[in-house]
Order: sequence, then C-alpha cells, then structure tokens
Amino acid sequence: MNWILITMIFALLIPIYEAWQDEDIWQKMLAFASIATKTSVLILVISVLRDDWMIGVVGVIILSVGNASLMLLAQILKRMKNV
Amino acid sequence: MINFLSYALISLGIVFWFWGTWPLIGDRSVLFKLHTLSVADTLGSMSIMVGLLLKIPSEWPLLILALISLAIWNTVLGYVLAYCSSSEANHE
Repeated sequence: MNWILITMIFALLIPIYEAWQDEDIWQKMLAFASIATKTSVLILVISVLRDDWMIGVVGVIILSVGNASLMLLAQILKRMKNV
Repeated sequence: MINFLSYALISLGIVFWFWGTWPLIGDRSVLFKLHTLSVADTLGSMSIMVGLLLKIPSEWPLLILALISLAIWNTVLGYVLAYCSSSEANHE
C-alpha cells in the first residue's frame, strides 16, 4: 500500500504549492481547506496501514475540528474586510 | 474480491483528488476552483474511506464517523467559503 501513500502525498503537494504562491486570501483559504481534508484522510490511511487506532482517532478529530475552524476563520476574514 | 474492490475504490478516490486539485493552480475564478475542489475532495475522500472500510470492517464506527463528518463538513465549508468570497466581490 506504499504507492497509495506516495500518490496521496503528491496530491497533497498541489494545494501546498497553491497556498504558497497565491496572494489572494480566498484562494489561500481554499488551498488550506483542501490541505486539511487531504492530510486527515492521509492520517486515516496510515492508521489502517499500521493498524493503530490511536492515529485514526486523531485523523477523525482533525477532519471535524479542522474544517470547523476554517469556517470560523473565513467568517472572521469577511468581517475584517467589511470593517 | 473484496481486496480488489477496496483497492479500486482507493484508486478512484486518488484519481478524483488529482482531477479536482489540478485546476487549483490555474487562473480561474475562486468559485470555479471551489466547485471542483469540493466535489473532488468530498467524493474522492469518501471513496477512499469506503475502500478502507472494506479493508478493515472491524473498525466501522470510526470510519463511518469520518464519512459523515466529511460529507457534512465539506459541503457546509463549501457554502461558507462561497458566501464569504462572493459577498466580498459584491462590495468592490
């Protein structure tokens, strides 16, 4: 299953590159949302691979809490722009 | 058979990931990128999750939780990001 991990890391590099090179804040937010989802799925794959469910719990927590925090951050950014 | 099916689902998910993440680099509008990204991330990740679920059925509560939070959070986040970015464009 190693090739799965390698291709997933390559897919993860695309939004990281986008977040690094784009100046527009919403494009950066999009890239960050993508990074959050992809890393948590990657963590879950690793937890299945190693058969270690402590890691899996961390992945699921990141999946729910990470997206929620990104949502709050988007709202704050919008308010800051409007002020 | 089940093993093959799970590998097929995981590969399908990775193909979805690449297909939806690739337009992120181009110069399209935020909404276009958001659409492809949310479709690809949600569907691709859900397909990867189902593939993992077929591989290890004993840990289904955790994986089902991951599936549900993927389906709900990614759609909600897509709506919120679209709302925030488009209302800023209206102001300008």
